[in-house]
Amino acid sequence: MTQPFDERGKELRELFFETTQELLQTLNDDSLKLEQSPGNQEIVRSIRRTVHTIKGDAAAAGFRELSELAHTIEDALTLESVSKSVSLAEIGFAAADVFGAMISAYQTEGALPETAVVKALVQKLTSEPNKASQATTKESVPGRAEMTWTEYETLSAETLRAEGKKVFHIVAHIDPLCAMPIAARQLVTNAIASFAQILGVRPESGASVEVRRIDLLVATSQSDKLLISRCEIPTVIKAVECVDFGGPGQKNTPAAQGAAPQPAHHDVSERHVVAPQAPKHDAARSTTSDTLLRVDSERIDNVLNLVGELIIGKSMLQQVGQEFGARFPKDPLRARLSDAMAFQARVLNDLQRSVMKIRMVPVEQLFRRFPRIVRDTAQRCGKEVILELSGQDTDLDKVLLDAIAEPLAHIVRNAISHGIESAAQRTTAGKPATGKLMLNAYHQANQLIVEVSDDGSGVDAEKVKVKAVKVGVISAAESERMTQQEIVDLVFRPGFSTADEVTEVSGRGVGLDVVREVLHRLKGTVELETDRGTGTKFRLRLPLTLAIIKALLFRIESRLYAIPLNTVAEIARARESDLHRVDTWEVLQLRGEVLPLMRLGETPAEDTKHSQKKIFVLVINFGGRKWGLIVDALESEEELVIKALDDQTIATDLVSGASILGDGRVVLIMNLGAVVGRFTTSARDGVPAGLFHGRTAQNMTEARQ
Amino acid sequence: MTGAAAMSRELHIVGFQVGRETYGVPITSLHEIVRVPEITAVPDAPEYMEGVINLRGKIVSVIDLRKRLGEKKIGSSRRNRILVVEHKGRLSGLIVDSASEVLKIPAADVEASPTSFDEGRSNCVTGLGKYKGRLIVLLDMTRLLDLGIIQKSGPHSGAGEARRAASAQ
Repeated sequence: MTQPFDERGKELRELFFETTQELLQTLNDDSLKLEQSPGNQEIVRSIRRTVHTIKGDAAAAGFRELSELAHTIEDALTLESVSKSVSLAEIGFAAADVFGAMISAYQTEGALPETAVVKALVQKLTSEPNKASQATTKESVPGRAEMTWTEYETLSAETLRAEGKKVFHIVAHIDPLCAMPIAARQLVTNAIASFAQILGVRPESGASVEVRRIDLLVATSQSDKLLISRCEIPTVIKAVECVDFGGPGQKNTPAAQGAAPQPAHHDVSERHVVAPQAPKHDAARSTTSDTLLRVDSERIDNVLNLVGELIIGKSMLQQVGQEFGARFPKDPLRARLSDAMAFQARVLNDLQRSVMKIRMVPVEQLFRRFPRIVRDTAQRCGKEVILELSGQDTDLDKVLLDAIAEPLAHIVRNAISHGIESAAQRTTAGKPATGKLMLNAYHQANQLIVEVSDDGSGVDAEKVKVKAVKVGVISAAESERMTQQEIVDLVFRPGFSTADEVTEVSGRGVGLDVVREVLHRLKGTVELETDRGTGTKFRLRLPLTLAIIKALLFRIESRLYAIPLNTVAEIARARESDLHRVDTWEVLQLRGEVLPLMRLGETPAEDTKHSQKKIFVLVINFGGRKWGLIVDALESEEELVIKALDDQTIATDLVSGASILGDGRVVLIMNLGAVVGRFTTSARDGVPAGLFHGRTAQNMTEARQ
Repeated sequence: MTGAAAMSRELHIVGFQVGRETYGVPITSLHEIVRVPEITAVPDAPEYMEGVINLRGKIVSVIDLRKRLGEKKIGSSRRNRILVVEHKGRLSGLIVDSASEVLKIPAADVEASPTSFDEGRSNCVTGLGKYKGRLIVLLDMTRLLDLGIIQKSGPHSGAGEARRAASAQ
């Protein structure tokens, strides 16, 4: 089983988990490609390489079960004839899934419950094509432990390489039909011995184990081709792999040692030398690994925090500069001071942008998972769907990217199972038989927009209405008053699913309400646009980063709050007497449009003095519609460095963060998503609003005087 | 007597007043003591949660310890202070009526808190220290803050219990 955990091993494992995610993605990608162009040798080789790398890495990290499984799969891929490559793609998918499951089991240090089942599945998959191909080439390589050379062997290999010798790791697979594997091993050893110095042999010579494979560590001045041809003993040896052992920059990292060498694979039966592309691939990898740094994201956060402090410092300085200017308008120092500050501001801006870029990754990293998801879902639903991706190079904070992966996958699965119609239905409707799903990402102001659109049937508002009333999300009377959009938005309510029956794909209880919840937690929103018959579009809006926003500052009951400036459409002035009450909502008529209002503070007493009070109404765009926010006074417009309020004692979702102003005051940033959410639910339940009304810290302020 | 030897026999306690009582916490559990700056109130927060302050660029939440301990009369004066403590890697502030002295209480003068305290809801009293004829209620900051997060302040308070216990002696 796995070796005892030591510090270095732990590090190695973490590296393994990280790199393997990439490899699994490559495996998925290649399998998809293979499915589309069956019989492509190049892709098959690429898959084999990937599995081989996983095998090596897993062995180095001490995950024997995974390594063995990868080996079995690798063998299956080796044997597979090209014409059978459709099932090869299947194996690729199965392998990716199995590996993924095993890795997460390793990661959580849980048991590996599925291995027996999945192994059987893979074996079934691998044995089928084997049966189909000629019986004479039937594979029977038993699972073997990954090669490990002793320290002495490795050391002598390194010494010899330093002396200018080439060091190879030769793997000879003994023909399954050969009756005397032990003799065969001896034969190979003898064949090599005359050309190279043998440093190590596995299994040890003289060992009587029935292993149809021999591993040799040799040092030579000959080329690998010659060695391979020496080993190719007809009817005895089936295939030979010759791998450059270790090498500069590799020997220190056991993971790389297992991973990097690409086998110069040689098949006796095919007589065909492999993959001119392999070394190129290798070279690319080694150059990037030199310039790539793996850094704990916590360290970057630290730097980002410090930059934030610097920006606060900058605004402090600016305030002082202004006061200085006001006090000594003629002083020549004033100009120099403002020059210096302008310079500082510019550098700070650059610094801030550079640091933020470190955390940003292209959306590509997220989108690349989707071809597989779409393929699987479409297959399960029996639909034909093509996926179009655009805007993959749009950058997004890594944390946010990871967080929206699940919601996005849910929306995509939803779109395929509910949105896109079956081929027959589509043809009847006069659409192309193949449905189209589009994923798009782009920046807008300081937000990232991710759109998922399909050309399916759209959301049936009538059906939603009936269902909503049936499950009791809204009352029948309410449903009559709602606009089309409001009805469609009901799909985001908890406990709602338009699917008539629960299917395997979607409607497993994880609904769109969860999607919305996740987005709200990330200070983002999700909108739904639908056209009956022509399609549906989900639009996810996310802040680009949680670090800096342009904000509008205002007061409610003398307390200061801020909202992102880009949500503010306009600012209107009104008197209390201009406001009307409709049902539980306060509304304002603004150029013929009725604007629902959100009063965050206390509702004023209804007397003449108060009714003449002037107020400001911030017209905000949120969730695809306009709302009015009643505020008492406007303060200013500022660039705020957001500091998270991740203190457990502040559990409210009404505030998404806080910031420190130039004069040291703390301003809270309102989470509009939550505020609108509260208002819509409280309006329904008839609870009067006034969320931000409360006791003030009045006594404290007095105390300071 | 060397300093180290003195340390082992004396507890260095920061004393502070909440209502009529004097409380104390080990000096090591305190980050700093600051005057009460402008506090930004947080909506939707529990009653005792006063808001957030700017502590040299860090945003720190502030709990009114007087409300936490159930003081009925909460006045404010220039003597009010915020005790800043580190709790689970984050800073938190606690408003007290006043805080000034560092008390050196001989370890021998500290009594374990009566067992009946354990049944009380707070369980954050670690002992009772006697200092120049006064009774100092020694608190465990960590427990107090854990409590502050989990429970809303009720009518029964740690201070009330402490007072009752003190008068019973």
